[in-house]
Amino acid sequence: MPRDASPRARIDWGRRAPAALASIAACVAGGVWLIPYGWMIVTSFKTLPDLVARPLSPLPRPFDPGAYREVLSAMPVARYMATTIVMAGAIAAAQIALALPAGYALAKLRFRGRRLAFGVVLACLLVPAQATFVPVFLLFARLRWIDTMTSLVLPFAASALGTFLVRQALLSVPDEIVEAARMDGASEWTIVYRVVGPIVRPTLVSLLLVSFVFHYNDYFWPLVMTTDDAVRTLPLGVALLREQGSGVRWHIVMAGNAVLSLPVLALFALAQKHLTRSVSGGTLT
Amino acid sequence: MKPRAAWHPWAMLAPTLALLVVFFIVPIGVAAYESLFSWDLLTAPRYVGLDNYRALVARGELLDVALRTLGYSALVVGGAMSSGLGLALALDRPGRLFAFIRASVFSAYVISWVAVALLWMWMLDGDDGLVSRLLRVAGASSSPLLGDPRWALPVLAVIAAWKLTGYAMVVFLAGLQGIPRALLEAAALDGARAWARFRNVTWPLLKPTAAFVATTLLATSFQAFDVVRITTQGGPAHSTELFVYAIYEQIFLDLRVGRASALSVVFFGLLFSLATLQLRAWRARASMRHAA
Amino acid sequence: MSARHPRTSTPCARDALREFGAGVSSERRALEPPLAARRTLEPPLAARRDLLRAGAALSFTSLACGPRGRAIREDGRIVVPFWYALGDLVRKVLLDLVAQFNASQARIVVRPVHQGDYFEALAKLRTAIAAGVAPALSHVVLEVLPYLARAGVLEPLDGYDGAAALPLVPGLSQEGAFDSSTRRPLWGLPFNRSTPIAVLDGTLIEQERIAVPSTWDELAAVARRLTRRESGQVRWGFEVPISWWYWVAMVGQAGGRLVDDRGQMTLGGEAGEQALAFWQRLVREQKVMRPPPGRDYQAWQSTSESFLRRRVAMMWTSTALLRYLEESAPFPVVAAPLPRKLRWSVPTGGTMFVLLRGAPEEEKIAAWEFVRWMCATDQAIAWSTRTGYLPVTRPAVERLREGGWYGAHPNDRVAYDQLEHVDPWPWVPELFRVERDAVEPRLEDAVLTGRDAHETMTEARQQARRTA
Repeated sequence: MPRDASPRARIDWGRRAPAALASIAACVAGGVWLIPYGWMIVTSFKTLPDLVARPLSPLPRPFDPGAYREVLSAMPVARYMATTIVMAGAIAAAQIALALPAGYALAKLRFRGRRLAFGVVLACLLVPAQATFVPVFLLFARLRWIDTMTSLVLPFAASALGTFLVRQALLSVPDEIVEAARMDGASEWTIVYRVVGPIVRPTLVSLLLVSFVFHYNDYFWPLVMTTDDAVRTLPLGVALLREQGSGVRWHIVMAGNAVLSLPVLALFALAQKHLTRSVSGGTLT
Repeated sequence: MKPRAAWHPWAMLAPTLALLVVFFIVPIGVAAYESLFSWDLLTAPRYVGLDNYRALVARGELLDVALRTLGYSALVVGGAMSSGLGLALALDRPGRLFAFIRASVFSAYVISWVAVALLWMWMLDGDDGLVSRLLRVAGASSSPLLGDPRWALPVLAVIAAWKLTGYAMVVFLAGLQGIPRALLEAAALDGARAWARFRNVTWPLLKPTAAFVATTLLATSFQAFDVVRITTQGGPAHSTELFVYAIYEQIFLDLRVGRASALSVVFFGLLFSLATLQLRAWRARASMRHAA
Repeated sequence: MSARHPRTSTPCARDALREFGAGVSSERRALEPPLAARRTLEPPLAARRDLLRAGAALSFTSLACGPRGRAIREDGRIVVPFWYALGDLVRKVLLDLVAQFNASQARIVVRPVHQGDYFEALAKLRTAIAAGVAPALSHVVLEVLPYLARAGVLEPLDGYDGAAALPLVPGLSQEGAFDSSTRRPLWGLPFNRSTPIAVLDGTLIEQERIAVPSTWDELAAVARRLTRRESGQVRWGFEVPISWWYWVAMVGQAGGRLVDDRGQMTLGGEAGEQALAFWQRLVREQKVMRPPPGRDYQAWQSTSESFLRRRVAMMWTSTALLRYLEESAPFPVVAAPLPRKLRWSVPTGGTMFVLLRGAPEEEKIAAWEFVRWMCATDQAIAWSTRTGYLPVTRPAVERLREGGWYGAHPNDRVAYDQLEHVDPWPWVPELFRVERDAVEPRLEDAVLTGRDAHETMTEARQQARRTA
């Protein structure tokens, strides 16, 4: 069946009802998904007396960015954000750096034990971090690696999913390309990173994006692996804003939320198509 | 192809395999081993055999947690899938407005669980929350939902569904793209109405995608932790104590390593089964795309 | 002093980096010495240190190898990591005092790290101890002191300079807070100590011409009078976090004890059931008490908030929140002692400073200096008057009395006067577990679902006996 490859042309449904329904759905969806954001921003610009007196008013009176200043004084936002970005970036980078040769070996090379190696990768696909954190925590505790960047990055440096996806992508790359490169005298190293790598760039970029976003947002692993604030990540810092003793200052918490979400939303705005496609698996098979 | 040197493939695989084995395979074995002990990290461990498992089963803790998690997951999957599918069908139109709305829905998936949980906590605040007030105006109860043992878990499921709908929608949109236009046009020409077209053409072809989405969402919601930790910490009255949170509590708040390990082992077992389903669904979807 | 574990002599990469490093933490900015004393902190040096500390945080070679051997130094000053669990107003006061301490001398700098609420901080402390990264100084709730002491992770303080001579208020010291039938090493010094108090909306009680309730029955009656229901909104007469502390108070008031003479966990026996049943009646039958949502300290926050918003006329809270409530309420706040049933009784609450045994020697000595400084009269007064916590030393109380503080602030007196009726905690290492596992979840459960009090407490007792 020929698949329609042109940009999404519209079928003329020829019925007004579905179109009306669609508009209604769009309005409802817009409301349900945008109003919370708006509410978050509005709250973050209110002052405490205004928040207490008129919690539901849609306009802050006065409009006061004081909550953001409080957030900045309550925690070292820049340091936390830098830590988080470096951690997520390191994980994403390590993942693609390792997934490429591993996926290549599994897809292109024939050797004894390939089945076993692939089996290990598949098996790990089925194991989430939440099932392993107890022993890994204890391991790091014994090594005194708690509260270090290593404990945050190392467990995720290899991605079973990434390896699997790279392998899938490489399966459809013709062997001739590799053979030609070999005849040209290129080393395996070069072949993997310089020849084959660019071919599966979309897959790698997808992996990079999804991994970065996932680990930037990760709350669980840093929560478990850190106790001090030396390598505290931003999600943890923002979550701590809520844990106050005497009265939750929602405007401060919302300001923290906004700060936390900003980089990811910015990334999303810039790389929206890519991110969407990565998640939906458009380029991956 | 034959590798240039026998050690090449192993060199390429070594770091990955080493890390995966150390951080994924070995820990499960270690957890199984440590589940046979009673240990609080500060004093010496004590061998107790299967006591930990017995304790979990005897007090009904294990069953409670498992059922709660399954119930929660079912709600999330049902909610996210139906709204995701509905939105995918409704918003699959050209134009900046629709693109913007699609992006907004998806953006909830992209931001952190921390942000989503805190935002909803604020909106559900008993006294001043936007949503609480709306519910009160609509005549619903006036007690804060997150403080009510009957409603806390469903509410968490709604929050999770809010976040995950974007994912479902995006995957369904991709799936819809894979439906040949010709089929739909033919059906339209034959006089089939929108619903009939959906039921007879779209849905059958969308089934593999739906299975994929369902199993992915199921696995994701089974691993839910962040939203519980931030909003209710397992309460009120244990009503939101989901699997991963229970494990976390056991080890970090109660310092019961053995019990936590036992829970981890059971959790892994359940997840393993779920994940095999997921893999199968994925393969089915992939092969369908190749076939088309 | 007791023996220490062997220490490595080679500094690790991380320690070395941290020896140079300084934080960009804004908290630290708040702690920087005032302009006059800023001789050592020139801008370029500070910037370089910031960078290095940030680098240390991001460094992958940050491997801590071996137990924490050497004390960290900044500018030649010993750094004392201090993990605390206080929020908002109280936290600001603490940070001010810490900054003052840091500025007052040049040998030590205390670095406070916020770790959430008491229970979160405790969890992190215990895991940090197990992982070998525990700080030198922290503070823990009284109920967990016996457990940590038995686990051998606390530093005994008897041998430290001046420990025996501290003029602590008897009810607030470790000896007074716990039943002192046996002589024990000194494990903790009072930090933020409190008793529960009742707090009422001053305007309302004047309007309604209500006398502050002094018995349980009076409390129920007052709550009924003050509860108003109009147009879907309720103003509750009474609210109290459904939690262990207040339950223990009521057990004492009903004539019960947590542990009997033979050391068995009775959880107050009948008194324990009566306390729970009282709450149940107020919430479910008479509907004059608002059940707060959330667990642990969420419930406390919510109670304060409701009170401030006048959704609740009378509540039980800690004297710790007194200053915060007084300053934030748009109405006069009246504090009162808790009522009695058969007798007056309150437990003490709050936390004690503790030093962790696994920390480097120098850090512990430096931490002790800070703790002793905090117990000095000036600081004890500052801490108490700015927050509402009890002043921990007798000279501090004397000076406040002489200065007319209690005359001008009658609310503050309430907690102090209640010290007369304090029932000490039993020194039981499992006390903490009994609180967290056996009692507290069941209290909440029983109030929210109406489960029979006798059944609930019997179960709790059984579980407590199994734990102990």
